[in-house]
Amino acid sequence: MPKVKINDKEVEVKDGTLILDAAKEAGYIVPTFCYQADLSSLGSCRMCLVEIKGQRKLQPACITPVLDDMSVETNNETVSSARSAMLEFLLSNHAFDCPVCDKAGECELQDMVHKHGPHKGRHAEPKHSFHNKDYALNAVIVKNSNRCVQCQRCVRVCEEVVGRGVLGSIGRGHIQEETSFLRTYLDCDHDGMCIEVCPVGCFMRRPYRFKARPWDLKSTKTVCPYCATGCRMTIQERDGEVVRSIAMPEDGFNGKMMCARGRFGYDFLNSKGRLTTPLIKNKDGVHEPISWDKAIDIIKTRFARTAPEKIGAVASARLTNEALYLMQKLMRDVVGSGNIDSSSRWNHSVVEGFVQATEIPKGGTSIYDAMDSDAIFVLGTHVSDENPVTDYVIRNLAAANRKSVFVATPRAMKLDSSAQMVFRYKPGRLAAMLGAIVGKFQETRGDKLSSVKGLSPTLSKDLEELSKASGISLDDIATLVTRLNISEKITLMAGTELLRGGDGIKGLGLLRDTLRALGKEVLVMPILDRSNQRGAWDMGINPVFGPGYAPVEGKWKGTEEMLEAALDGDFDVLYVLGEDIQSMFPDRSFATMALSKLDFLVVQAAYMNETAKMADLILPGGSFAEKHGNYTNQEGRVQAITKLMEPPGDGKTDLDIIWLIGSALDSSFGPNLPREVFKEIQSKVDMYSEVEPTGFISADTGEEPVYKFDFKEALVGSGSVELLDVEAKDAEIKIGTDGDHPFMLLTGNHLFHSGVMSMQSELLKGLLGKPIIEMSALDAKELDMNIGDLVTVRGNGFEADFVLRIKEGTPRGVIFMPENYQEIAVNKFYERKTGIPGVNVTAQRG
Amino acid sequence: MLSDKAKKEIEEIHGRYHSRRSATMAAMQIVQAEGGHLTEADMREIAEIVGVNPVQVQEVGAFYSMYNVERPVGKYHVQVCRNISCSLLGAEHIIETLEKKLNIKTGETTTDKLFTLTTAECLGSCGTAPMMQINDDYYEDLTDAKVGEIIGKLK
Repeated sequence: MPKVKINDKEVEVKDGTLILDAAKEAGYIVPTFCYQADLSSLGSCRMCLVEIKGQRKLQPACITPVLDDMSVETNNETVSSARSAMLEFLLSNHAFDCPVCDKAGECELQDMVHKHGPHKGRHAEPKHSFHNKDYALNAVIVKNSNRCVQCQRCVRVCEEVVGRGVLGSIGRGHIQEETSFLRTYLDCDHDGMCIEVCPVGCFMRRPYRFKARPWDLKSTKTVCPYCATGCRMTIQERDGEVVRSIAMPEDGFNGKMMCARGRFGYDFLNSKGRLTTPLIKNKDGVHEPISWDKAIDIIKTRFARTAPEKIGAVASARLTNEALYLMQKLMRDVVGSGNIDSSSRWNHSVVEGFVQATEIPKGGTSIYDAMDSDAIFVLGTHVSDENPVTDYVIRNLAAANRKSVFVATPRAMKLDSSAQMVFRYKPGRLAAMLGAIVGKFQETRGDKLSSVKGLSPTLSKDLEELSKASGISLDDIATLVTRLNISEKITLMAGTELLRGGDGIKGLGLLRDTLRALGKEVLVMPILDRSNQRGAWDMGINPVFGPGYAPVEGKWKGTEEMLEAALDGDFDVLYVLGEDIQSMFPDRSFATMALSKLDFLVVQAAYMNETAKMADLILPGGSFAEKHGNYTNQEGRVQAITKLMEPPGDGKTDLDIIWLIGSALDSSFGPNLPREVFKEIQSKVDMYSEVEPTGFISADTGEEPVYKFDFKEALVGSGSVELLDVEAKDAEIKIGTDGDHPFMLLTGNHLFHSGVMSMQSELLKGLLGKPIIEMSALDAKELDMNIGDLVTVRGNGFEADFVLRIKEGTPRGVIFMPENYQEIAVNKFYERKTGIPGVNVTAQRG
Repeated sequence: MLSDKAKKEIEEIHGRYHSRRSATMAAMQIVQAEGGHLTEADMREIAEIVGVNPVQVQEVGAFYSMYNVERPVGKYHVQVCRNISCSLLGAEHIIETLEKKLNIKTGETTTDKLFTLTTAECLGSCGTAPMMQINDDYYEDLTDAKVGEIIGKLK
């Protein structure tokens, strides 16, 4: 390890360390513009010039690695004057319009000049002006190139992290401009990464334009409420209006990364559609306000007079751990019912298998540890659309560290371009593909696999059949098996495609155990699409397991069984927290019928939704910005959300409402402060006993902990409970295509959306535009359709109109439809028990 | 739309490079040789053929002075070097002379579409400054008289 002297301090660093990082270790910060840790090196801005003893010219610290015995000066007079001169050059063409620049007050150039000078420029030449007026690059980016310092962070981040590469450096020297192709409007991921990394006011947030100065803002550290990637972020408000959310590079595992939802979807907090008071349905079926006392009283009476087995609760996987824990405590300990579930989209039996296959009860896995594998196998998750930042991490780290990425999904996604191999298996046939992989291992190294539980000894005999069923050729399977064979450490990332119908759950477990039997280190990471899905499972929001995956006694119902019982007139009271069953249950008419048969439906929600419209009683719950608590992301990382403001009107937080109901029924219900509830969770749930949530103020010390990047103490531990004793089964996915309905309908989250919550954001709604479907170019050609055509999709007695998009990589016979539209209920195309519905598509000819 | 001939030529040169995108510059040259400059549609088409984003084609086009991105040029593209050596030896004067002779300003094209006058950074011929480049040829050690003679011959 080389020893280097930085100024007067000697440090020993790893081979290949940059002078910049060595200096940091020695306690000296070298100023930079173009350097950014997770991007490729450029060394163009020359801000980081340092003096290396024995070399005549100054060298850029951000691209020069240290050598043994090197002696570096970072702060002497030569270096300082070079820095000042570099800044003078940057300023020679700078617009100097700080008074009207959104960046003023948090501008790296401003700060740098303030610190390193010069305070007077000598350039008298006319400045080059790129344009007179700022121009918009899309709905979220507004651009002023006259302020650019040409660091090209925007260009690199777009290519290397986001994977789009729609920005370029046009021109040379002082007339170089970082912008889109001919400055045209961009149809990109709208994640604003270019804005986040811009050191000056060149790329700016359009929705935040002229709204505030940084010092006017009140901020709180929190976690993005959309998907389970769980990006840490700061949301900021001015005069009661949330005006922006920014990443927290100093503390979140996500660094500066955020997606369109996280960065621009905050405006749902300012939505006018918030529920502000409890509402009861009167005799005419109209909702009218009542007081909290009366509302709680009605619930108390209903709960008291109904048999526990006819009461149930469905809670959203976006509630905090505290609220979820208290909810199951209310149901199990006070009401005496174990009819609890956390999603209306997938059946609880599938969840149990998934939890087992992904080994969630064994504790958390940092995504950085997961990425430190030789091979990363992403299967059954359209991570580019559902968990954009997870996609960024995979792309960026896999390229930087030369890791192999394999992708197996039924439809195309952006990550495909970063993968060594892409397996486009037939929808609903992941199980067959995984069977073929395991079968191939069995064929070649079968002697080693005797310990693998549940492995059919003759799987290798069915190879051809499995390959045919999955649509993946035997050659491709063999290549993958060879590649996995030469990998020591393998990460399997599995997600929502497995949960939607249970396809491939057993196969995932088999693959995991097979690889382990061959002596490989295997990590399994679930990829989930709701912010606290993993937390909800950890808290026992499931009819089969309680907090910490402890098995529960008795036979209880999940969402689907509760609705079935309701349809039979055998279920009376349903308490729905934050979930919209009507919009999300994969069979709309069944859900509507069942819900209407209920005796009493209570819906607790922040916004009026389709389920709430049917409710007998509506309780106004709080959004994530109005409460304290914790979310557990897909890695098992527990992170705090903190309160920024009060719920509007008479609204209360979910935790408070549950507590009010609980204490009305039982005066010794327990604590209601989030941190005290968390303490109770820590004492009752083994996995959480040692956790130090990122950013959480503990009840004992009252102090915010000091944390660092990728803070491992925030990962949940392994519980004392063994893996669930359920047999993971690969569900046979029924595919509903026939001669009249030739297309398989796949659904999932749109890149800009997550469930229906994001539809409360005007901005994200605007990005979504008209409802679309995606189809392969060949199918479109056969049907004589073009991009942008208006088409009608029919199936299950329902029809709706969409704009056609052609997506490269979409297999034939498949169409994709985002599930997020308010105006079109996608679940109307679904019929229960049919995993993948068949539909037909016809063009509307004018 | 690229001509079939251009498309065929681009397809042929792909074999010379280890990755498709490496053919970007050569493809641009082929297209420009036909139309004199690169249009938005040209760049989009090239991008699709070599498998990059259009902006990456524009980047290359904007970086090298030999590409005329969205800038139609006359039959003769006159580029006068105005870097240090040439400037010291009278490039400014040469430019003025050309402007007068052609009756256009720098950056413009004559009405008969014969000449386009632009300036360029160092063309690497400092030893024979001042100099200019017309299409692919260098004209060196320029004087007023020499400029008049060259232009006269081309007219």
